[in-house]
Amino acid sequence: MGNGDKGRPNKKFKFSNKEEHKEPVFADDNSYYPEDNDDDYRDGEGKKRDFTKLELKLDHANRPLWACADGRIFLETFSPLYKQAYDFLIAIAEPVCRPESMHEYNLTPHSLYAAVSVGLETDTIIAVLSKLSKTKLPQEMIDFIRASTANYGKVKLVLKKNRYFIESPFPEVLKTLLKDEVIGRARISNEGMRGNDVFTVSKSLGEIEGRHDELLNEAELAAAAEEKETHSFEIDPAQVENVKQRCLPNALNYPMLEEYDFRNDTVNPDLDMELKPQAQPRPYQEKSLSKMFGNGRARSGIIVLPCGAGKSLVGVSAASRIKKSCLCLATNAVSVDQWAFQFKLWSTIRDEQICRFTSDSKERFRGNAGVVVTTYNMVAFGGKRSEESEKIIEEIRNREWGLLLMDEVHVVPAHMFRKVISITKSHCKLGLTATLVREDERITDLNFLIGPKLYEANWLDLVKGGFIANVQCAEVWCPMTKEFFAEYLKKENSKKKQALYVMNPNKFRACEFLIRFHEQQRGDKIIVFADNLFALTEYAMKLRKPMIYGATSHVERTKILEKFKTSSDVNTIFLSKVGDNSIDIPEANVIIQISSHAGSRRQEAQRLGRILRAKGKHQDRMAGGKEEYNAFFYSLVSTDTQEMYYSTKRQQFLIDQGYSFKVITSLPPSDSGPELSYHSLDDQLALLSKVLSAGDDAVGLEQLEEDADGMALMKARRFGGSMSKMSGASGMVYMEYSTGQKRPGQGQMKSKPKDPNKRHHLFKKRFT
Amino acid sequence: MPQVRIVAKNFMDMVASLPTMKLDKLYENAFICEAILRSLPPLAKKYVLQLLFIDIPVTAKSMEEWVLADGFSKHKVAIDRLIQLRVLSETVDRKKDTTYRLNPMFQLNIQKHIVHGGILPREPMPSNITVRIPSLEELDAYAIRQWECFLLHLISSGEAEKTTNISPSMMKVFQRGLLSQKDDKEPPMLTESGFQFLLMDTNAQLWYIIREYITHSEDRGVDSADLISFMLELSFHVTGEAYNVNTLNDIQRSIIRDLADLGLVRLQQGRKDCWFIPTKLATNLSICLADTSARKQGFVVVETNFRMYAYSTSKLHCEILRLFARVEYQLPNLIVGAITKESLYKAFLNGITAEQIISFLQQNAHPRVAERIPSVPENVTDQIRLWESDLNRVEMIPSHLIDEFPSRDVFEAACDFARECGGLLWESSQKMRLVVKGESFPQMKEFLRRQKQ
Repeated sequence: MGNGDKGRPNKKFKFSNKEEHKEPVFADDNSYYPEDNDDDYRDGEGKKRDFTKLELKLDHANRPLWACADGRIFLETFSPLYKQAYDFLIAIAEPVCRPESMHEYNLTPHSLYAAVSVGLETDTIIAVLSKLSKTKLPQEMIDFIRASTANYGKVKLVLKKNRYFIESPFPEVLKTLLKDEVIGRARISNEGMRGNDVFTVSKSLGEIEGRHDELLNEAELAAAAEEKETHSFEIDPAQVENVKQRCLPNALNYPMLEEYDFRNDTVNPDLDMELKPQAQPRPYQEKSLSKMFGNGRARSGIIVLPCGAGKSLVGVSAASRIKKSCLCLATNAVSVDQWAFQFKLWSTIRDEQICRFTSDSKERFRGNAGVVVTTYNMVAFGGKRSEESEKIIEEIRNREWGLLLMDEVHVVPAHMFRKVISITKSHCKLGLTATLVREDERITDLNFLIGPKLYEANWLDLVKGGFIANVQCAEVWCPMTKEFFAEYLKKENSKKKQALYVMNPNKFRACEFLIRFHEQQRGDKIIVFADNLFALTEYAMKLRKPMIYGATSHVERTKILEKFKTSSDVNTIFLSKVGDNSIDIPEANVIIQISSHAGSRRQEAQRLGRILRAKGKHQDRMAGGKEEYNAFFYSLVSTDTQEMYYSTKRQQFLIDQGYSFKVITSLPPSDSGPELSYHSLDDQLALLSKVLSAGDDAVGLEQLEEDADGMALMKARRFGGSMSKMSGASGMVYMEYSTGQKRPGQGQMKSKPKDPNKRHHLFKKRFT
Repeated sequence: MPQVRIVAKNFMDMVASLPTMKLDKLYENAFICEAILRSLPPLAKKYVLQLLFIDIPVTAKSMEEWVLADGFSKHKVAIDRLIQLRVLSETVDRKKDTTYRLNPMFQLNIQKHIVHGGILPREPMPSNITVRIPSLEELDAYAIRQWECFLLHLISSGEAEKTTNISPSMMKVFQRGLLSQKDDKEPPMLTESGFQFLLMDTNAQLWYIIREYITHSEDRGVDSADLISFMLELSFHVTGEAYNVNTLNDIQRSIIRDLADLGLVRLQQGRKDCWFIPTKLATNLSICLADTSARKQGFVVVETNFRMYAYSTSKLHCEILRLFARVEYQLPNLIVGAITKESLYKAFLNGITAEQIISFLQQNAHPRVAERIPSVPENVTDQIRLWESDLNRVEMIPSHLIDEFPSRDVFEAACDFARECGGLLWESSQKMRLVVKGESFPQMKEFLRRQKQ
């Protein structure tokens, strides 16, 4: 074993080698994202950046940040200007890591796109950034901001009184657009106005909310508040999709922001719903909504909030502000039920106005406006449907939705998005997620399919504010027993490696010990996660606890969850990865993870999310309150195995959010004896032979069938078994995407440029 | 190569270890007497003052009566120390009664000091002659700069901007034990002690260098007692005042140039005169060298994600951090790095221990995080320790494999024998092989030879 845990090798897997050949453009895009940059920037001294020559301002101590020429920004959280600087940076840059004292951000073209789209102008960005910076801004950064914002956010697609307008404060941009054949043809000219160079001029309100203004001096403030002139021309509604296509980065490169002037929409019927008075959005929820409705219209985009921080209230609030029909998409049937429940809980919507559409329940709302909650698979399903669902889907297709609310946008593969978005017509799209982990190019798709990221909350700030639980994360190191390790090392057991390290008796004992401790000493509710189905069954049977996995029926799932929530007899449940996302179990406050999907950072964060919902009294939870930790997250790993390597990788996202993993090496305590299972060698050997005699496929990963309608899609995807999957670097989603790409003719954007010469000029510049 | 043990032993231990003759000579200098008095433990100080005007020997018995029974251990320490420094001389008479008396020279000097008051070793120059006298802040900055420059030269880093006037031979003396060079072609590498040296605080480092400087002074034809007395004298000068170099003798003048390179004094040349200005490093000598607890402000913030932010403009700090972390960004007043498994393994291989790294991080914690408990996140310190202990999981034992036994009987007898002498590491009765510790192999050989007969 040489230096100890070889299972945690230092070398990085180059995860996307295979995909890179297929999709050179995407591979290049990746390098924009900090995590993918890991390989480079964590590779050692070779790439260290020396910016000591930057000129330090005299009063640098009062300014909160450093900006580097390569786009990296460091922010001191103890600066008096932290709050302002944080709000500003989160609008213009991607957070890389946000622990307690120092945050790191990266400026990327996408983050700047998002900045521009929420109304920040190039000069404002540069001015504020240089005000906050301790040093003179590097010229490279100024150039980069200018280049990135040159085109982005200049053009808006606005739906007013059911007429589509292309709007821009820059008439010359509109002229450029009109030179394009497709757009030129799509234009509807008003009578009496001939020629292409005359646009309708109107005034629109500047950003109402002037958060960044406080950083500007008064003259600038006056300018920002002034009404702005916008120029616009109308286009043919039938051509909207084509026009949008032409504006994407691979064509004219003026990606259009979509805004919905819902207050002036008289054609679509209003939906009578209000937030109930007891639904009080928290400050950060308010902030995210204000980003969305900043100028009185509804912007399309993505809001990122940690699990348990109340994403659904944001969604429901958005729907009740727009007050039009709303299509809400969730990932599975259980969360469909939960969304429907949330709508009823927070808003005054009447029962007949909301309906669920899943394979089990096919409801339809009455009246001319309402809310439909369904799954992505139900909408995107390409196969034959029952007559009843065919009718409902037809209705969904034909309706003009005021709001398309998309939950957990990070799990849905891009092609499915395209399909859903092409099928449904909506004025405004809002994506919600907890973990916009940037492991693939999908963020690009999300940027252009839904819209830019509107807001991202800081996990630690929410913990300090007592809005989410303060979790103690721990990695429990379980040494392999001699016998298991000997088998683990044998070549013929390569397919059973996972089963062997998951079934490691020491791990089992640690798990049993933790369950007992938390059940008996603290009266906690525990979820045990296992990806490996064989292990899940073995553990659950041996410990006599209920379990839920893919094949558990909807009825049974609901029953078990209900028992877990209400009964004091059921304090522990075992979940396979069906429980990763969006199953809402607010009672649980302990998670024990015995096996996981390789190195997926997203899964780790999502699982943690299951216990983030704040517990106990609010004042106890606040920083300095009574309870230091009120939730526990244990990840059990067998030392010296692959798991160690994966585990480090998985934790990266949470660590970057400021969580720390404590390593526990002595569980179960050495004095524990036969009261825990597998104490004797005979028992351990019996377990070993059971693992070894099980078929290779029995001990593999669970095959998950999310929802009845979409199984064909999912099945084909989950078992690629490529390097990227093994390393987990790509997460599950990457696989889903790449297989999706292989299907010809899927989605509308299949014409992604493959030729490097057609690459976006910004991306090109960085890679030559 | 002599292995240097780096212990921040105090200056006075060094004084105490001087030969009797030299020590007695030292006490002719009033400043040394005062410095020694200052450095004494409280009880010893009291004894000196109590005995100061008693000119006859005092019996050990009567001195023992001065303390309560529970203070006896302190009494013992105080007396031992005083004897060590030859401040007290011990005489045992024929009746085996022990008596003590103060060193007469020492006694006289301190008496004088008390009666006439302290005097300055030399008068500062009047301000109408001196020009461009640096402010205290400038002087501090100068001292730190000089010291760091010296250290960068010491570790042969290419990062040093300025050259130093310290002679190469003396530099070699300082580097002895800190650097090692396998052959002339390769650049010298820091040794384990060298790494430890860099992680120590400035006072401890200064002490190490001064000690080496004094120990090897004889090689340069300088008497170590002269050197010590000058050093102690220097510590009685006032920081920031200018003193004329002409008041120094030749030896002292050559010493002062070396001290300027270390940052202890600053030399300035006027139109006619040349003067030296002691910095904090020099005036703290007698205080700090007795006790290295003076704290400087920390600059390192370590986050739970193993990222490290060092508020520093110093190249030396950067070099030090590079010993165990990966430096990623260097900004005008910030160094950004990450503590990684690889970077730590490199450090461990170079002989730095996890505890040293952790205590360095803790001692240098930025004031923002210094009050926080713990100042370095627990998960980071745990992980550093775990990574270190991971390296220690495998133990190497030189051993021998023995096989091809003529018969099972011989094999089993051999196994038994090996087990008896505690040398058996592994056996396979199936293949008739066994592995024994290297140290018991000769016995085994002897045993097997006997078996053959």
